[in-house]
Amino acid sequence: MTESEINWPAALRAAESGEQAEAVRVLRELLQSGLRIALNGRSDVSEAHLEDFAQESLLRVLDRLGQFQGRSKFTTWAQAIALNVAFTELRRKRWQDVSLDALLADGERMAEPAMMADDVLGADEERTRLVAALRNAIEQELTPKQRAAILGELREMPFDQIVEMLGTSRSAGYKMLHDARRALKQRLLEVGITGSDIQKAFN
Amino acid sequence: MKDRAQRLTRDQVGSIVKMLGLTTDREFNCTECLQHVSEFAECQLANQPVGEVIAKVEQHLALCPECREEYEALMKILRAGN
Repeated sequence: MTESEINWPAALRAAESGEQAEAVRVLRELLQSGLRIALNGRSDVSEAHLEDFAQESLLRVLDRLGQFQGRSKFTTWAQAIALNVAFTELRRKRWQDVSLDALLADGERMAEPAMMADDVLGADEERTRLVAALRNAIEQELTPKQRAAILGELREMPFDQIVEMLGTSRSAGYKMLHDARRALKQRLLEVGITGSDIQKAFN
Repeated sequence: MKDRAQRLTRDQVGSIVKMLGLTTDREFNCTECLQHVSEFAECQLANQPVGEVIAKVEQHLALCPECREEYEALMKILRAGN
C-alpha cells in the first residue's frame, strides 16, 4: 500500500484490522523519513533518536486524530506534529540544567542600564530615549515572572521549559507573555512612542 | 552575582522591539499555530493566498522562534517531497 492510496483517518481508526496495522506501519516510516530530512546534519540526533521520535509522534497523531479537519493533507498535518514532538524533546535536553533562580535574578535586573550591552545604545540619541522608555516600561509594568519569561524567550529557551520553571501551565504562560507584551506596548504608546518609532531606531 | 548576569544584547533588545510591534490583542498561541501550520505551509508551497485565520499563523511565526523553527523544518520536508 502506498501513501497516496490510504484514506488515513479512516485507516487509522479501523481498530483491530489488518488495514490499520499496515497504515500504522506506513505512517511511522513516513514520519521517520520526514524527521530524517528535517534533522539531517544535527550532531545531537542519531538514528535511534529518529526511531524514538517517530514512535512518539505516531502515538501523538493517533491520539489527536479527532482534531484533523482535512484543511491540509493528512501527512502534512502529521509531519507538523512529529516535528513538534522531536524539537520539543531536543530543546528540553539542551536546557534541562538551567536554573530558575538565575533566570529570575537576571529578570529582576533586566531594566537596569548595566544589563544593556554597550552597543545597544551607541551614539544615537533617539535610540537612547527609546531604550530608556522601554526600560521604564519593563520596570514599572512587568512582574518578576513576566520579566523572567521574556528573558527566557530572548535567550531562546523553550517555552515548555519556561512555563515548567515558573510553575505554570502552557496556556497561563502564554497569557502571561502576551499580557506582558501588551502592557509594554501600551506603556510606550502612552509616552508617545509608537511601534514604528522604535522599530526605525533599531533598523 | 551582579557581574555574572548576562547582559541584553542589541539583537535581544531589537527582538523585544520587534515583538511589541507585532503584538495584537488577539493572537494565535503555539497550540493554535500547530493546528493550522500544515495548511499555511501548503499554501506557501503552492504560492496561494492565505485566509484571515491562516494569516494569524504567519503573525505567530514572526513572534515565536520555536514554531518558526518547526515550520521551516516542515517546509524542508515538503520541498523534498516535491
